[in-house]
Amino acid sequence: MVEETAQQIADREMILRIGRGDQTAFSALYDRLSGPLYSLALKMLGDASDAQDALQEVFVQIWSRARTYDREKSSVFSWAVLLTRSRVIDRLRARGRRLRVVGGSTADEDERAEATYASTLETASDTVNRNDEAARVRSLLNNLPSEQREAIELAFFGHLTHHEIAAQLGQPLGTVKARIRRGLLKLREQLRT
Amino acid sequence: MISEEQQDQAALYVLGLLEPDEAAAFESELGANAELRDIARELREAAGGVALTAPSRMPPASLKQRIMREIAMKTKEPAPMPRQRAPLGWIPWAIAAALAVFCGLLALDRVRLERELADIRAADPLMQTTFFALAPSAPAPADAKATVAWQPGRQSGVIRISNLPAAQPGKDYQLWAVDAEHKDPISAGIIRVDKNGVAQVRFTPVEKAEHVKAFAISLEREGGVPKKEGPILLVGTT
Repeated sequence: MVEETAQQIADREMILRIGRGDQTAFSALYDRLSGPLYSLALKMLGDASDAQDALQEVFVQIWSRARTYDREKSSVFSWAVLLTRSRVIDRLRARGRRLRVVGGSTADEDERAEATYASTLETASDTVNRNDEAARVRSLLNNLPSEQREAIELAFFGHLTHHEIAAQLGQPLGTVKARIRRGLLKLREQLRT
Repeated sequence: MISEEQQDQAALYVLGLLEPDEAAAFESELGANAELRDIARELREAAGGVALTAPSRMPPASLKQRIMREIAMKTKEPAPMPRQRAPLGWIPWAIAAALAVFCGLLALDRVRLERELADIRAADPLMQTTFFALAPSAPAPADAKATVAWQPGRQSGVIRISNLPAAQPGKDYQLWAVDAEHKDPISAGIIRVDKNGVAQVRFTPVEKAEHVKAFAISLEREGGVPKKEGPILLVGTT
């Protein structure tokens, strides 16, 4: 049996309603998830317009695939994150552009992005809660051994294959796999405490 | 009991890093192993958390309006029920209307399926892939070889090398795409072989290469060079 937090249960109920065609639930889930999903898309794509298009595709997919969501596989949040990452990677492949990743967006991109980050839809408490959670995850990630953190960031944001990560880090493939696995499991363990 | 190797595969699987055949094999293993499914779920949750480390940004309010409009367009309004004129007299009309709607839906579905089929055909990687066989030239060992699967549409490819000894210290192997529209070969990155002389790497050339005639591997200074300098070890066309 999967243990869920109150937020995960609320998200799941929203997805069930969305699966039945409830646009109000969809709107509420958008307000909750659009910030983190957009942040992820923007970090990986490095372009605000592209990130918005990707986010639109993701939410349309959430609408049409809500009934296929499986709580045994992941929480709604993680499902949506991995869906976003997958859509972004498809876009990156399609445009054949080299990734700009890991180090965060450039100052120039930040300036352009700031001009469009005008949404006032999320409530102040959502923002505070999400920022708190983000700060906590960032801190936990920073507490991982640097080699594990580096491997996870390259794998997650960099869309490099494990072979490419091994080549980039100059480490054997087995070592890289173990670093990703150990880092993720440690992160998960710490997130649950 | 889940082995460390299975956990490694699970971590790569949730991050989408396995090759298609590896992913398929892992999925069949997942189907038969509840403990492995639990580990995969734990790893997905951790991976989901990593997304929160991206600098926090909000999309513009107009995006939500755009998405809500698209959702509304996708939502079909239920057909209005015919007004009842006489007890049970509406039934034949309702059946006729339902059949008409059903036929209409079938026609729409056929159009959608045809479009999806066309998309799938267009997206079939094998139909968009060109293969290059690279043969050795001195000073590479005579049994060294490489194969490149290149997808011009995606501007990416995969190279598999075998029987090529590791480059000596201070040197690296570098992959080049020879493109008809570029004067010089285009770098496609550094490749490091393992102790068995094998490498399998996904690559993207640094510049757009739409008319690739050949791929080549040269021995260059460690870290690679922007323009080919060293000797060619492997080269091949389609």
